[in-house]
Parts: sequence; C-alpha cells; structure tokens
Amino acid sequence: MPDDIRGVGASLLRREDERHLHGRGQFVSDVKLPGTMDVAFVRSPHAHARVKSISIPPEARGLVFTAADLPRVKPIRVTSHSTGAKSPPWPPLATDKVRYVGEAIAACIAPSRGEAEDLAAAVMVDFAVLEPVIDPPRDMRGSRHPVHEQWGDNLYIEHALEGGDVEAAARAADVTVTRQFRMQRQSGAPLECRGVLAYRDHRLDEVVVLASTQTPHTVRVALAEILDLEERRIRVIAPDVGGGFGPKARLYPEEIILTALALELDHPVRWIEDRNEHLLTTAHTRDHHYNVTAYADRQGRILGVDAEIIVDAGAYGLWPQGPYHEAGMVARALPGPYTIPNYRARHYTVATNKTPLGPYRGVGRPGACFAIERLIDEIARAVGREPNEVRALNLVRPEEMPFTTIGGLRLDNGNYPESVRLCAELLDTPAIRSRQRRGEPDGRVIGIGFATFAEQTAHGAAEFAARGASIIPGYESCTARVLTDGSVVLMVGIQSHGQGLETVLSQVAAEELGIDPARISVRHGDTESTAFGFGTFASRSMVMSGGAVARASRMLRDKLCRIGAHLLQCDVAEVRCADGVVSGPQGSVSIAEIAKVAYLRMDGLPAGVDPLLDATATYEPAISTGVFSYATHGAVVAVDPETGFVELLDYAVAEDCGTMVNPLLVEGQIRGGVVQGIGTALYEEIPYDETGQPLAGTLADYLLPGAVEMPAIKIGHLHTPTPHTEYGMKGMGEGGAVAPPAAIANAVRDALSAIGAPGGIEVNETPITPRRVMGAIRKARGA
Amino acid sequence: MTAVHVTINGKAVADDVPPRLSLADFLRERRNLTGTHLGCEHGVCGACTVLVDGELARSCLMLAAACDERSVETIEGFAEDAVMDALRRSFHQHHALQCGFCTPAMLITARDLILRRRAGSEREIRDGLAGNICRCTGYTNIVTAIAAAAEEIARETSNA
Repeated sequence: MPDDIRGVGASLLRREDERHLHGRGQFVSDVKLPGTMDVAFVRSPHAHARVKSISIPPEARGLVFTAADLPRVKPIRVTSHSTGAKSPPWPPLATDKVRYVGEAIAACIAPSRGEAEDLAAAVMVDFAVLEPVIDPPRDMRGSRHPVHEQWGDNLYIEHALEGGDVEAAARAADVTVTRQFRMQRQSGAPLECRGVLAYRDHRLDEVVVLASTQTPHTVRVALAEILDLEERRIRVIAPDVGGGFGPKARLYPEEIILTALALELDHPVRWIEDRNEHLLTTAHTRDHHYNVTAYADRQGRILGVDAEIIVDAGAYGLWPQGPYHEAGMVARALPGPYTIPNYRARHYTVATNKTPLGPYRGVGRPGACFAIERLIDEIARAVGREPNEVRALNLVRPEEMPFTTIGGLRLDNGNYPESVRLCAELLDTPAIRSRQRRGEPDGRVIGIGFATFAEQTAHGAAEFAARGASIIPGYESCTARVLTDGSVVLMVGIQSHGQGLETVLSQVAAEELGIDPARISVRHGDTESTAFGFGTFASRSMVMSGGAVARASRMLRDKLCRIGAHLLQCDVAEVRCADGVVSGPQGSVSIAEIAKVAYLRMDGLPAGVDPLLDATATYEPAISTGVFSYATHGAVVAVDPETGFVELLDYAVAEDCGTMVNPLLVEGQIRGGVVQGIGTALYEEIPYDETGQPLAGTLADYLLPGAVEMPAIKIGHLHTPTPHTEYGMKGMGEGGAVAPPAAIANAVRDALSAIGAPGGIEVNETPITPRRVMGAIRKARGA
Repeated sequence: MTAVHVTINGKAVADDVPPRLSLADFLRERRNLTGTHLGCEHGVCGACTVLVDGELARSCLMLAAACDERSVETIEGFAEDAVMDALRRSFHQHHALQCGFCTPAMLITARDLILRRRAGSEREIRDGLAGNICRCTGYTNIVTAIAAAAEEIARETSNA
C-alpha cells in the first residue's frame, strides 16, 4: 500500500458506508433488548403556568412518574463564571411551574409507545396560566410574570464589547448606514430525532445509557452529578447518530429521567423522540435581533460599527454551556474579517417562555455574518460602488496576518480578498450582470450577492476560559493499539454524528504508522472503551481528535521502531516505519512480527522496553484561541415580484480550510452546511403566537430544504495550511452554514433593485419567505 | 388483533397485529428490519419509504393490517438486484451519504426512478427526490450518484 494515496490528503472512500447502504446502521431506536418498556412524556401545553396538581388515574399508578416519584433527580444547573450571569435551576420533570410548551411533567411507561401515549393522555394536570414572556426587546428589563420570578427582570446576562472610539468614527463618517436585522428561531432538525435507551447491567453493577448524543463523555459527567451516582457506575454509548449539528451536543432532561427510571425499574426503558417532540423540546437555535449602525468614508472604508444584539434564549440554560455564549460570539464575530478600527457592541441574552436555545451549525456566526455582510452591501450602494469592491477594500490582507480583529478574534493566515475574487469567478459575475441588463422573459428579476466570513475552529482552553465556561473543551484523546497480528484499533474520545470520522481518523493513523487504513478500526462514542473526550462540535473534531490520533500513533511508531531495530540488529536511527514494515539497512520486519514480540514473545524485546503496543495521547492545537477557516459564498437568485418567491439559480463557495485530510469529505461537509444555511435563509422558522404557542410542530409547517429547490453547489479551494496544528489542517464543519443567509439576502436585494423603488427594496429578516418579500416590495412602493 | 399474511423480502410472514400498528413499526419492532427509518411519522421526510406490491409507500402512514396478502420490500431485501447493486456502489463512490439515516429510503426511491426511466437528467432526479429529505449531504452527491448509476444501468441494458 503506497501510503501517499491513503493517508492525509487522500479522497479515501468511507468505511462507514457499507453498513448504511444495507440498512445495517445501528441507531438508538434500532437496538432491541428483551423486556424493554417505551416511555412517553406528559408535556406542558402552556408556555407559562403554575402546576397546581397532577392527577393520575388509578389504573396508571406505578406506570406514571412525576418529579415526586424520582427524588434522587436534582435540577440541571449550569455554572458560568461570566460577570452577572444568572443561572436558573431546571428540574428535569417540572415541579411547581412550567416555562415553555413541551416542558416535561411526567414520564409514562408501557410495552409500546402507543400505549405509553395513551397513559400520558389520561394524566390530568391542573394549571394556573401566567402571562408569557415572548418579546425580548420589550420584556428583557421586566414583565408582569418574569420567566424566573426571583430575578425581577428577564436577562440571563448583558455585556458590552468596545474597541477604539466609535463616537469619533461617527463624527468622521461621510456615510452612515443603520439597519435592523432579524434572524428567526429555528430547529437543528437532524433526520434522526433524539432517543435514549437505558438499562441496568447487574453483572457490572452499572447503568448503561444509549443516547443519540454528540457528547457521551460529558453526558456521563452530568448524569453522575445530577443523579448522585459514581461515574464508574454509568456507561454512556452514542451508537450511530443520524445527524446532530449542535443540538445533540447538550444534556437533556430525557437522558436524566430515563437513567433514573432504569435505576428504579428492573427492565430496560426506551424513549424515542418523535418529530413533534423534537420541534418542541430539542434546542431551538438562532433567534437574534440586531440594531446596527456602520460609519464609512466616501470610498466605503468602514470607520466604525455600533451594534445592539438581543438573543432570545428561551426558558432555561442547556448544560454545560448554558445560554451565555451565543450573544457573546455574535458580538465578537460581527466585525467579520474586516479591518474595522472602532467598534461597540451591547448584547443581551433574554429569558423567554420558549424552548431553550442551543448551538446549531455556525452558532452565533450566521446572524453576525448576516448583519455585517448586509451592511457592506448597503455601504457600497451609499457610496456608489460594487459590493465586492467595498468588501475587498475592508478585508484583512494576507500581508497583515496574523491579524486580531476589533472583535478580538486572532485570524491566523489566508488570503481573504482572493476568496472574493474566486467566488465571483465561479459564478461568472459578468455573465449575470449582462443577463440582468437583458431582463428575464418570465417577468422575474435576478440578482447576485456575496458574503465573506472567518470561522473560528478548534478553539480550546483560552477561548472557553474567556467565555466563562465551567467545562472547558480544550483537548481530545486517543488510545492507539496495535494488536498481535499488526492490525490497529484507535479508541477516540470524540464522537461522530455522521461526518465520517471513522474514515478520516484511520487516514491519520495510516499516515503515521504506514499501515493500510483498511487494517485500522476506529471506536468512538462509548465511555467504556475510550479515554475522555468532549465530543463533536465547534468544528473541532478533525483538528483535535486527528491531532490526538497523530500523537498516539507516533508514540506507537517510535516503539515499533525500537523493537524493530533490535530485531534487525541495527540502530534505531537507521530504521523507518512504512508500508507495514520496519526496515533497516540489512532487511525488514513486519509490524505483525514486531507485535508478536511485544505481546507474546517478550524475550525478543530490547532491554528497557515494556511489553504491549498501546499508547494514549491528548492533543490541543499550539494556539487555543482557534485557527480560522474562511470563505466567500455567492448566490444567484430569481425573484418573482408578483409572488415574492425566491428561486436559487446558482451557488458557489470559495473556501480555505488549510490542509484537507480528505477532500471528498471536506466538500461533503461544505455542501451539507450550505444547504442547512439555505434553510435558514429561505425556509426554516418556528414562529410563536402571542400566547407562547409554537406554530411549527410538524415538517409540514417547518420546511426543510429539498432536492428540488437546491442548486448544485460549486466549490473552489484555496490552500493555506496553518502553522498551529498537525498537518496544517483547520476545522471546517460549520462554515458552510454561516454565509448563505447573508449571500442570499444580498442577492435578493440586488434582484429587487430592478424594480426601481426609490431607496431600493431590502429584506433584512430570515427566512426570506414570499410573504416577507412581498411585504418589503409593498412597503417600498408605499402601498 | 388482526391477522395478516404478508410477504416481506420474499418470505411469507403471518402475525396478529393491533389495528393501529403502522407498517413501519411492524417491520422495525416485530420483524427487526430496522433499516426502515422513522424521521417524522407524518409522511413528509420519506425516511420510511419501502415498496408495497412494487410501488413506493410511506410505511409510517400505512397500517400493517392493510398489508394483508401484499408483498413488502425493504432495504434488507433487494438481493441480486442489479439496479440496487449499482446504486449502492455509486452512493459509496460519490460520497452520497453521511449519517446514513435517509440512505435506505433514498436508495429505494432512486431505484424506482431508474426503473421508471425518471432519472434521465439532473432536473428529473431532483424532482423525483421531492419526497425524501436528506439533512447532511445537500443533495448534490446524491443526485450525481443516481445519475451515474442510471447511466451504468442504461449502458448495460443497451449492451445486453
């Protein structure tokens, strides 16, 4: 096996595919254990109410569990070290009060889910309904019935970030542009909903919890704390996970309750979330309000930005990071990869009677990118230039790297202006401009728009400590083991939610050990068989876990070389490990032969070398504030001015994520992210009515992007390896989802300029639905 | 309970089922055919797609009792099926799956498109996938993989 085509840089086909192509994947709901009982939850139908009483029909006694029946369960409580952060307790089953529609009140068990739902329907809860908090700008300083009444207001946290002198920028500006932006609330909506299966293993005296989660190790930490159980007696397994995208990187009440039930009962219990529950109870995302002013000179150079950011964070803080990071991330990312000298951001994280907010691909960045990239285009219009000229004028240039933005993010390297040029080329911008001049035969108007962003990835200790986090995901781990026949097992603390880590991590070990990746197994997602790791989120898996695999593999390689040199009777400096053998000046010995000595024939070991081929390593990049991928996205749209319908005609991404370990999988991540970003831009929304009822409870109300509406997505690559990581790789899992709302909104703005309303027509709220487009057209026409 | 006699992947099966049991739950819970996935249970996402008497069906919206004397094929079937074999190879080759949750139903739908000669262009394939949601891939590679498999099948058919 020539390792140059299977190691780092190879578009190796995935080892995960075989099982899924035959329907043999193993998701939580696929695991069958004898005697399992299904669980359905009684959930709150009210946004905000006091629970006066819960009555359980006599025939359901012993089958329905309320908080009072599970006294060992303590509330979820997030710790934050940020100044002024408020952290409410969250009982996994409601006690005196419910604070969002869907909050769990009781768990019902039965032989099938249908029968469990029958039980749940028979439980009667008497509520005293309270006025809900649903409007963050109005209610953040106080309301008639605050979400957490002991607070007085509805603010989890408020902070300000300031650099330079924004007042001076205002005085010096030739052009001032002020806009309100809104990114609506949505769901992460992986195709597999959440699920938990829990049972007692009496032989090992432990409880085993299978969960569809991105973070099995930290879920175990939380379960031990909340259930007051020693960690050694809990095993958490994430089997195949059918997409996570962020929302599954949090602890949920159901994981706690199912574990508690398994401890109480002498049979396995299973809860498989249905889509309605998913849309009601799994972390919601986005939901940002912006009021932003940009100051620029008459060339379009930005002198300063002044921003107010409000995040609607819902009723509780999801463990471990709570609601505190979203708005802060927005504030720091909003100045983008631009050389803006003066900046002020005031940000507010507001408690409301809605589903708790959590991370979703891109977290705060899609909103921040939407705000700054829309402003770039409006500044360009105000000074009479092409938006991409203004973009390039303000972007950090390669020779200025490393560059710390006014938002405090240290961009490590890259050629950002080149990504703008390449993206415009991929879409053949001159051809679009001449097509615009000709006009469309069907009466529609077309437009082109762009957006550029930097994506902080693989950030570790310094970054999370600065955010006030009490749990700091600063490393990943790998135990690498060569077995007696020379085959290899990697046991990694990371977890894969479908992105292909089993394949790419085997490539890293193949690179270091010179072994065919087909002879390498990757185990992940099981607290029993792997060293501790934080899981997959924050575009960290490849850099952090790949780095740990590289280090552990090199430790093994060194040992293989020492034993090999001894067997070859030469100096260790004379041998190399490649193509499945250790070779020296006079011959070679296979890794399998060396492994036999290490395990079974220790009389062949050199003096001072212990048996076994087993190494554990952790890894954090040399810089823990993150390494930055970046991209420019471009969209071409057609807008129907009679209906407001937006069709995507073309889409392109010009990106740089440093060294690509597997280019095939990198492009898969980009395209998948872009389509999720298109969902944010055009379709996905969970509106709430004035009583706090969510209005999207099925996939008929909550629209996900389908194959019909999506264009083929063009990709161009730039390659700037970072000096701070193994192989120069950067994280890139989330970037695809960051820029589509901004690029598409800019394209819609460009298209609608053909309608000729004075001042133009803008849609500054996502999703850009036909209703919103028509609203903007009518408003601009004064109708 | 209702008695049903149904042929699943070529094998005759008899069972007594509750009237409200869906075909999907029957396959998954009683026959352990867990390759049929449930993503919404209201007929939108398409992850539960199977063939009933050779036609695409949403197994979440169909009752097991309604399958009496009918024939059902799931992803665990399709043994020695040339189109399914070509699709599986092509999905692997073109990285047309990530988490794998939508994959079995995508394959069954794609096979149906190819057999009905509705996979002749990118537009046709995209329209044909209107009832199957994938949340990971962005569809580009799925469309490419189906087009490549359709071409391979067309070549083999014209050579035969």
